[in-house]
Amino acid sequence: MNISSTENLQRIQASAAAFADEFLEPIAIDLDRTGNFPRALVAELARQQLLSLPTEKNTGFSAHVETLQTLSQVCPAVASILNNNAIAAYAIFKWGTDAQKNAHLAGLAEGQNIGALALSENGPAIGIGPDALVGVFSSGKIVLNGKKIFVRNAGVADLYVGFASIGAPDAMSITGFIAPAETPGISVGAIQLTMGLRGCPVADVTFKNVSLDQTSLLGTVKDGPAILADLLGALALGEAAQTIGIGKAAAKHAAAAARHRIQFGHPIASLQAIQQLLAEIATDSHLAWLGVCHAAQLADDGAPFGVEASMVKSFLGRFGQKLLTDAIQVEGGMGICEVVPPHFQGTLPLARLFRDMAGTTLLDAPGDFPEVLVAASL
Amino acid sequence: MNLLTQEQTEIQKTAKAFVAQHIIPNAAAYDKSGEFHVFLLEAAKPGKIFGMAIPKAYGGLEYSPLTQALVLEEWGYGCCGMATTLAASILSMDSVLIAGNEGQKKQFFTPMLNGKIGAFALTEPSAGSDVGGGKATAVKTAQGYTINGSKCWITNGGFAEVFIVFAQTDPKAGVKGISAFIMERGTPGFTVGQEEDKLGLRSSNTVFLRLDEVKIPASSLLGKEGDGMRIAMETLDLARPAIAALAVGLAQRALDLCVAHMHERFPGKPFPGQALQFKLADMRIQIESARQVLHHMMALRDAGKPFSEESAMSKTYATDAAMSVASSAMRLMGSAGYTSEVGKLMRDAKVMQIYEGTNQIQRLVVARAVLARPKVAVHAEKAVAK
Repeated sequence: MNISSTENLQRIQASAAAFADEFLEPIAIDLDRTGNFPRALVAELARQQLLSLPTEKNTGFSAHVETLQTLSQVCPAVASILNNNAIAAYAIFKWGTDAQKNAHLAGLAEGQNIGALALSENGPAIGIGPDALVGVFSSGKIVLNGKKIFVRNAGVADLYVGFASIGAPDAMSITGFIAPAETPGISVGAIQLTMGLRGCPVADVTFKNVSLDQTSLLGTVKDGPAILADLLGALALGEAAQTIGIGKAAAKHAAAAARHRIQFGHPIASLQAIQQLLAEIATDSHLAWLGVCHAAQLADDGAPFGVEASMVKSFLGRFGQKLLTDAIQVEGGMGICEVVPPHFQGTLPLARLFRDMAGTTLLDAPGDFPEVLVAASL
Repeated sequence: MNLLTQEQTEIQKTAKAFVAQHIIPNAAAYDKSGEFHVFLLEAAKPGKIFGMAIPKAYGGLEYSPLTQALVLEEWGYGCCGMATTLAASILSMDSVLIAGNEGQKKQFFTPMLNGKIGAFALTEPSAGSDVGGGKATAVKTAQGYTINGSKCWITNGGFAEVFIVFAQTDPKAGVKGISAFIMERGTPGFTVGQEEDKLGLRSSNTVFLRLDEVKIPASSLLGKEGDGMRIAMETLDLARPAIAALAVGLAQRALDLCVAHMHERFPGKPFPGQALQFKLADMRIQIESARQVLHHMMALRDAGKPFSEESAMSKTYATDAAMSVASSAMRLMGSAGYTSEVGKLMRDAKVMQIYEGTNQIQRLVVARAVLARPKVAVHAEKAVAK
């Protein structure tokens, strides 16, 4: 990593931290309660030039993960909206034609348009299963039918980057496409009640005889699986950064609570059992963060980063939720309160972060283990 | 082979049916609103399940500890928020079973057999893990005692008919100055404060209690003055396995939901890949181990043997297993878990690692027992030389 990129990262980090303080801190609790999509914040993220960082050369991914990590310390839901938008933009930036880039990238970076990724399906993996999205070529068009599930930014998105099997359900023939949300035949199901990350809407997106020009295809049919793997890696990297941001916030708040809470005549922070829990949270967060930075650096260098992203995902699959499980254990009764009781020192409720964490450590499909990719690389 | 008696199998079956009819269909809505499940008290009244720990001499069911664990596991399977109401009511009764006289037993047990519940008020803002750090006081008067102080995180507090309240009768004596009292709902000066909005066990009622010049008769004292700490500790020894039972039920529910989802997601495929199979196996191993540690602990209690260390082990292992199994289920189910009741299981399990003595306090209990044992000759040569 060279000096100029470090300076750039420090600038981004400071800008994201200031944004989190000014704009996220005041609304985070309400956003969790109402789940209303915070459109005004997206415009503000655009003004700060944080909305599609992975499309910037040389330091884009490093800056993106730094931003997500910083925002997630305050409001992981907004980081999730940002990550999905940014990776949709990255898909077009990395794999799109010049015409596609000219048509879409500026809108996604400046917040006029919001991007979403339509990936998961009902079957065990994308391209197999009863509702798999299938595209058929017909008189110069591709016609899509099927259903995508658990699409984040669904409903609020102006643009979907998705994948469909060609001809018939088949995991090997999947091909990327770009579809404006207003295309006839695209419909969004009810917003689902999620455990956490409320405010980042999740819903099914159904495609019924959706007809797109062939110029809407992302890459060639042959490239589909490679593009999908690239996007899943990029998405996972952002989610890992979110997980670590949540973990860092948890350690900070749990440590503050441990210094305040007097039991047995001393702050419980003086007890080894508490120190052990806090030290493990900080250690796991820090080591995972080094892994994220390394994978982001590889991505910025144009090198393959899928295996490294999978390693981080696998690590945080095992230890991510534990960061919050243990932080709440330190706070005890106060940690499990959604609203801190008036008879205790106020601090940010870890309950919300516990719920958010469940949403950042998820796997996309039950058969999709990051370990498979890691093992294959060996 | 079924190691349970015919009677236990019947009771388990009845509990399963009750849970399927009254608890499972209502759990999600009450979790969402956080409203207290009042309907449950009425529904459970005919079966007297809130009186399952009460001796037959007082009109109760007098279930053995193991039989109680079987019922509690079923309730935990349905909803740990609702099951906590039952467990916490039994917890309050345990203090009376340990230290109450005839009159106190009648006073305390009668409401339990009539659709009412009890609460155990020990924790204070300054006294959580440090039970001896309480500031509530009980001053002896000519008429009885006058109590002042506050209690927090009191389960069932907003709805209980009868309470066990701990207060210092001799503040200078530290933990030896704590005494236990029976108090009835509606006693002047005794008010229910804020209800907590919790991450998990959301429909279980958790409140702040204020005690302001509360006057109670001398006959309310449980045992003798200064017996409070002993009564509290013995009560918690008896009560912790109930939480273990709830946790086993919760973990079993998480595994069942996960397996059902696997069948849905991989239709027609008898076995998913080894990675998934091993994770399911690990979940099952944790659940069965937690269940057997609990049943063994209850068998010790049945046999009249000491069980304090086993009680701590059982609560810690079962609630940690519940957290781990629920998290695994979430991970295996992906977004389907994140948008389903598996999220509730995770949130509920998190609270259970904390309440009724944090798992850190339980580990201190176990470690003290381990270190207090006579030294064992571990090296063969030294043993021979001796």
